[in-house]
Amino acid sequence: MNLSMTPQPIHLVDQYDDGDHSRHYTFQLAQPTSEQIQPGQFFTLTLAGFGEAAFTYLTAPDEQGRFQALIRRAGVLTSQLFKTETGTLLGYRGPFGSGLWPIEEIKEKRVLLIAGGIGLPPLATAIEALLANGSDVGLIYGSRDYAGQVLKQERERWQQQMPMIETFDQAVGDQLSGTPLDHLDAINQQLGGEVEAVLTCGPEVMMQAVGRSFTDRWQSTDNIWLALERRMHCGIGLCGHCYLGSSYVCTDGPVYRWREFLKQQKVM
Amino acid sequence: MKSYLLDSLENLFQHLAVSHKMFEPQSIPGSEDLHWLPSPKGPTSRYGTSKQVLPLAPAKGFLFPERELLFRFDGQTFIETLPEVAPQVLFGLQSCDLCAIAYQDQFFRQDSYYLARRKATILVGFDCLTPCDGGFCSTVDAGPFVRDGSADLILHPKGNEWLLIPASEQGLNAIQTLNLPPAPAEWRAEREQQQAEVAKMFPTDSHIRTGIERINQATISAEQWQRLGLQCLTCSGCTSLCPTCSCFTTFDTKTEGESNTFVRERCWDSCLYEAFQRETSGHNPSKEAGERLQRYWFHKFSDHYVDEFGRYGCIGCGRCEETCPGGIGVHSIMRRLEKES
Repeated sequence: MNLSMTPQPIHLVDQYDDGDHSRHYTFQLAQPTSEQIQPGQFFTLTLAGFGEAAFTYLTAPDEQGRFQALIRRAGVLTSQLFKTETGTLLGYRGPFGSGLWPIEEIKEKRVLLIAGGIGLPPLATAIEALLANGSDVGLIYGSRDYAGQVLKQERERWQQQMPMIETFDQAVGDQLSGTPLDHLDAINQQLGGEVEAVLTCGPEVMMQAVGRSFTDRWQSTDNIWLALERRMHCGIGLCGHCYLGSSYVCTDGPVYRWREFLKQQKVM
Repeated sequence: MKSYLLDSLENLFQHLAVSHKMFEPQSIPGSEDLHWLPSPKGPTSRYGTSKQVLPLAPAKGFLFPERELLFRFDGQTFIETLPEVAPQVLFGLQSCDLCAIAYQDQFFRQDSYYLARRKATILVGFDCLTPCDGGFCSTVDAGPFVRDGSADLILHPKGNEWLLIPASEQGLNAIQTLNLPPAPAEWRAEREQQQAEVAKMFPTDSHIRTGIERINQATISAEQWQRLGLQCLTCSGCTSLCPTCSCFTTFDTKTEGESNTFVRERCWDSCLYEAFQRETSGHNPSKEAGERLQRYWFHKFSDHYVDEFGRYGCIGCGRCEETCPGGIGVHSIMRRLEKES
């Protein structure tokens, strides 16, 4: 892990709209590193004079140092990013996080991914790794409405490669409605058997509902993982903002096993 | 390491002052409080006197300043701005504050800004022969005598003379050319004995012990934390004065008159602030005052951190009690936890 607080130069090389207030970005590191990115890790972006914020990798940097990210406009920094022209020099730090999607542990299992809204991009590296391994994978993607969906191109590709259910809080026409948990029987059917491991990312209230639901179903907290969002100002376990119990989400997470998450919640 | 007999603090001070900038706790006109200030003419005459007084603020800011430059951006390159610190001596540290520095040494062990300041600093500690008001260092293994390994030089009064213990390589090197005589052999043993006697002079600490136990057994309800949390005025007095608190935020400032150039700084932050964990979406994992207060005391007294730091995050200085306008400093809160259990 790079412990420096000083960013590396990075260029914004491509961008296109991808969902409501959301955009698909491609960045290129000025000096590509050989450091491998693990599924679940994150990086930070600096915009000159507008601060720094943490984002998830949609793809790992390739040999040219190019990688992608899906970013929603939500605050001061992302609003500025949305006004930033292709070619602009930005700052980059990363990769951060040691709590990873447990690909090795689950690749032989029947895996369900449950994403909510902007929680889909952090699952993308896990989806790609599991698909590349030929694992048995399915996805339930819940969104507020059609415009709230992100990763259109990726989903079109994934649709060809694995069972996928899309559901909406505000469904119209023949769209499926309800929360992702309302569609477990359907995805089990499509997967040809009961799910054995769950990875989830989305609003924390949704992830907790997923955790509780599968704990009840399996009478075990073992095979459930979630990726947390927390406010972060350093990414290296120093600024104190992202505490969860006695852990720091930036260094111990951002992915936690559900059991560990519960333990950290109760530790105080 | 060998111990030495020092007949005059003045000699040691002036010797160190030849090649270091000297800092000492000093009073300023109109105030009885002690403040860490440059001391070109020291040492002050307080050392070895019976009444112990802690500086109002700890020495934390020398190593982890309230505001610090991290890097500058010239439009093309991000340039790290490590501090350039002239050799300095913090003269007159008490054991509690030294334990806090040892704690932060551990926490910031890979932080290049902290390390640049720390490497330029010699720590001169003094044994406390009496408790200070509100101090409970002996309860949390942070005093009253200076702990091995927490200072570079340790001074212990022996009448009009001093037992000088070099406690690090840096400390030993700093006094090598003074050619001091060895201290009488029995002085080290006498010091040990005296520490036990001073420890007995502290007032009762049953409320601290009970509070620590309750925090670690997690027997304090969310309702009780919330009741206590309502007394927090989010002034950040406790976190600013706490010698082990280390949370920070970062902020950018654009360079005046130039476009696209800026500097980033970090500055102290406080886990008691409502927005400390609030995310851009509005989601806030610690939106209740009680949750934030619980976090603060958990971080100070939880056994979970002992593995990493070898001690609690509280060093028993009592500064939070002195500064808290809401009456929820360490003694007040621990008494409430004892009473309301």
